[in-house]
Amino acid sequence: MSAKRGADWSARLAEHWRGIGLSLVVVVATVWLGFTGQLGLYIHPRYFGFTLVMAAVGLVFVVASFFFSSSFVASTPAAKTTPRRLALSVVGSGVLLSIAAVAVLALPPATLTSATATQREVNSGGLDTSDAAEQAATLVGTGDYERLSVKEWVSLLAQSDDPALFADKTAKLTGFVLPDADDPDNVFYVARFVVTCCAVDAQPIGVPVYLPGWSNTYSTDEWVEVEGTFTPNPSGRAQASLAVEPTTIESVEQPSDPYVY
Amino acid sequence: MRGDRVGARVIPSGLIVGVVLVALAFLVRGVSPAFDGLGLPDRAQDAVTLALSVIIESAPFVFLGILLSTVVQVWLPHGFLLRFLPRQPLLRRAAISLLGMFFPVCECGNVPLARGFMVGGFTVPESITFLLAAPILNPITIITTHQAFGFSDGILITRIVAGFIIANVIGWLFSRHPDPDSLLTPDFAASCARPETAGHDDHDHDHTHGRGPSRIQTSVDLFARETAVIMPALFIGSLVAALTQVFVPRSVLLELGSNPVWSVLAMMALAFIVAVCSNVDAFFVLSFGSTFMPGGIAAFLTFGAMIDVKMLALMRTTFTTRTLVQITALVALMSAAAGLLLNYVG
Repeated sequence: MSAKRGADWSARLAEHWRGIGLSLVVVVATVWLGFTGQLGLYIHPRYFGFTLVMAAVGLVFVVASFFFSSSFVASTPAAKTTPRRLALSVVGSGVLLSIAAVAVLALPPATLTSATATQREVNSGGLDTSDAAEQAATLVGTGDYERLSVKEWVSLLAQSDDPALFADKTAKLTGFVLPDADDPDNVFYVARFVVTCCAVDAQPIGVPVYLPGWSNTYSTDEWVEVEGTFTPNPSGRAQASLAVEPTTIESVEQPSDPYVY
Repeated sequence: MRGDRVGARVIPSGLIVGVVLVALAFLVRGVSPAFDGLGLPDRAQDAVTLALSVIIESAPFVFLGILLSTVVQVWLPHGFLLRFLPRQPLLRRAAISLLGMFFPVCECGNVPLARGFMVGGFTVPESITFLLAAPILNPITIITTHQAFGFSDGILITRIVAGFIIANVIGWLFSRHPDPDSLLTPDFAASCARPETAGHDDHDHDHTHGRGPSRIQTSVDLFARETAVIMPALFIGSLVAALTQVFVPRSVLLELGSNPVWSVLAMMALAFIVAVCSNVDAFFVLSFGSTFMPGGIAAFLTFGAMIDVKMLALMRTTFTTRTLVQITALVALMSAAAGLLLNYVG
């Protein structure tokens, strides 16, 4: 009898603290990411304010739950379930809470990698092209092509792949190395992820670079700064008709804001 | 998380335990990047990142939903909202489907809110109507859809009209169910019937004096109860969405884009998998606008706002699996019909 009551009691305990525990983990992680400037690894900057305010509200509720913890046993009615379900609820809550704590609090925050980029076709979408093209056009007007980023070059290349248009322009691009799907030996992309809402909708964009045997020197996912000029893509297999012929390639640190918006 | 029982008797010690735990969590979070390079394989690492991004994006909306639900259940007089609604069932559901205009919570936040509505006196079909209509018929969604597509191709109009019709038709169908309470999970049906949740049954203002817990205490208790149900669903739903994304190539879907029938079905499948919030899904799908026919886009925006992996996990907290299968099938059929109509006629 007392064993049953013990199981019942621990199930109620699990039931009561499961949500608070998960909320605590999420709220603490959100606030910490916000203060260390890493929230952008997961969500679009336009949500920073709302997310942090709601996290603060959540934190108040979490702490308040502990404040009122003395009353919960009395106010939570006994669930009429089988001992097996009770045990399952306790174990399930424990497992979920442990996984959540490790995944959310212990793992270092990370940007998406080429593993996701290869799942989603490069330059297949994600850019609000009219907007990006407008920005690109403004920068092109200044004649300072080195200020154009991956995003602007991609939108320019999407509008036209006429070699004459790009012939005299030097590109300076920062992004991570992503092998071309069709010609991985000779072509890689200097790639970035475009995020519209949160990392889950990230779409890879990138400018192709033609450099046979690039993988001897550079590795996939490495962050690089590539300088070079556009030429008709010498690769017979890659789909992009223009590619950058690099004059210099330098390894760089991953920027603190790896995504573009 | 378990250690609090020691402090259960004295109130301040509970608070101390809470503050200490929060501080401990911050400490763990602050120290752990020192162990960088844990050596997770890329795919596993990306799955974690994707799941986390959904959780961090959605959790604030879940909290907001719980907060509004608490206001409805604890702070407004019982049945307050019901007073303003027409009595005739059809008109009533039509009015309820526009409630999202005043509660612009994201779809994940609508689940706790709908639960609150049911405890506060809505019938089951009425809350289903709300749950399906609110993600589409709310100011934020309409504005973002307009920003993304304007009035071109009839996408915005189709989304609004289809959202309204689908929510009301499904509400009407379920209103003919002989025993609507059987649509709910036993746990939730029990909590609807539980008098102390419903609170102040007869005397609205009976809260401060009397032996019951204070409103603040009830609100905090409700937070614990709702998060206990919603947060596990959010975690599991996000993980499923992330794993599907890492392991199912999206290019498979994209190849189907230019066919009038397949574009609709593929976009609905995509909507189901990616589980983007309805507030912003227009921006997301904008990138597919060139590949897919307008009907496919409209079907994505209609179906995805109502049903996706994460939403099903969240709704499972409240409705039986059988009910969810029926709702999903109905929403899918009608969204597909709307999309096909736009592709062939529009």
